[in-house]
Amino acid sequence: MSIAAAIWLVQDFMQVFSMGICIVPDLFLFSVLLLALKPGSGTGRQSALIWAAFAGGLLWDLRWTNLPGLTAAINGAAVAAACHIWHKVPAQARTVTLFVIISGCAHLLSGIIHFCFWTIPSQAAIRQLAVQQLLAVPVLVVVSLVFWRLSDKHA
Amino acid sequence: MRIAGRETRPWLHGAVSVLAGFVMLWAMTSFPVLNYRLVDMLNMALYYPETPFMQLRGIIKYSSNWVLERASLQEKVSQLELKNRAMSEALQKAGVKVPDTKDSVVTARVTLRYPEAWWQEMRIDKGSDDGITEGAAVMSEGFLIGRISRLGAKYSWVELITSSSFFIAAAIDETRDLGVINGDDRGNLRLLYIPQDRNIKRGMRVSTSLMSDLVPPGIPIGTIIGFDEPKEGFMPMRIQAGAHLTQLYAVEVFSAKRSKK
Repeated sequence: MSIAAAIWLVQDFMQVFSMGICIVPDLFLFSVLLLALKPGSGTGRQSALIWAAFAGGLLWDLRWTNLPGLTAAINGAAVAAACHIWHKVPAQARTVTLFVIISGCAHLLSGIIHFCFWTIPSQAAIRQLAVQQLLAVPVLVVVSLVFWRLSDKHA
Repeated sequence: MRIAGRETRPWLHGAVSVLAGFVMLWAMTSFPVLNYRLVDMLNMALYYPETPFMQLRGIIKYSSNWVLERASLQEKVSQLELKNRAMSEALQKAGVKVPDTKDSVVTARVTLRYPEAWWQEMRIDKGSDDGITEGAAVMSEGFLIGRISRLGAKYSWVELITSSSFFIAAAIDETRDLGVINGDDRGNLRLLYIPQDRNIKRGMRVSTSLMSDLVPPGIPIGTIIGFDEPKEGFMPMRIQAGAHLTQLYAVEVFSAKRSKK
């Protein structure tokens, strides 16, 4: 949990630094997904992480959006859906590829839902969304590498 | 997590968290005061940890624009000096004594602008500790961009002229016709309540009219760029804001030094 809190702060500082330039990728969501889906995470821990994602989302809303509760709901739903899918697939299929697909889709959906509520000019909004999703690619690569290392160790 | 001795499934927590999120959203939009209180509390808590990143951003941003800005500002200062000299001469000839100005401006940086309320409000890093008062005019590049709507010790919120709840008295410089400037939450500005029969043309400039000592008269707002359908004898006019409202990084807040009685 303290890792997730530290990553929330890092994301906040990055957003302060890049305010007016771009919207930073959701490092916090990626890190919570990593913690929830890494080998050895039981349902109890996953449930706790859903609420951690909710709390982080709520704080993000209070700091950076004017719709408090929206990011919280998105984060809670994303982590819960990811855990549900993870449990539904057989253990052999829980690979890095599936982790990348789940995390990538969660991030993209979160970005699109926020995009629907923006009132900035449409072209600028599309550019912001595209930049955020592109910046998420290297983050996703790093998170996937960490997931791969953890899976390797666990195996 | 266990509820009544049973391990609950993550999807259940997910469903409850979504519900909680929407309840929170409803509560915050229904009770804005609660929202403002929580937002201000979090922003105060993050003020000191975020300051180095804010400063670093400012240094990089301003150093990259410094050379260009300096040249354009020098040109502006020379033009204003010439204009000022000409006006002083004219006043002297007319025998009018020019009083010393008691007012000043506070320069502030924009610290937050929500994408969801892009045309409505933004937060700046100066507050009552810096002499800012509620209702004070906020300017960028010499043009009016809004008014202080909420105030904290170290920060304040600016209601932008493009907000639909923003109304300010304004005058057309060339004809001295008085109207009201209003936004529409989508980046457009209109000058309202100018009688239809007035001879107003595109390109005429609009500036603030005498309202209070917090919004002095004569602050430029923008230029008339078009006319809407007349309504009830009035001709609404489309205004192009003089300031670059999509690129607001630093602003000036008018600070009236009231004379003590």
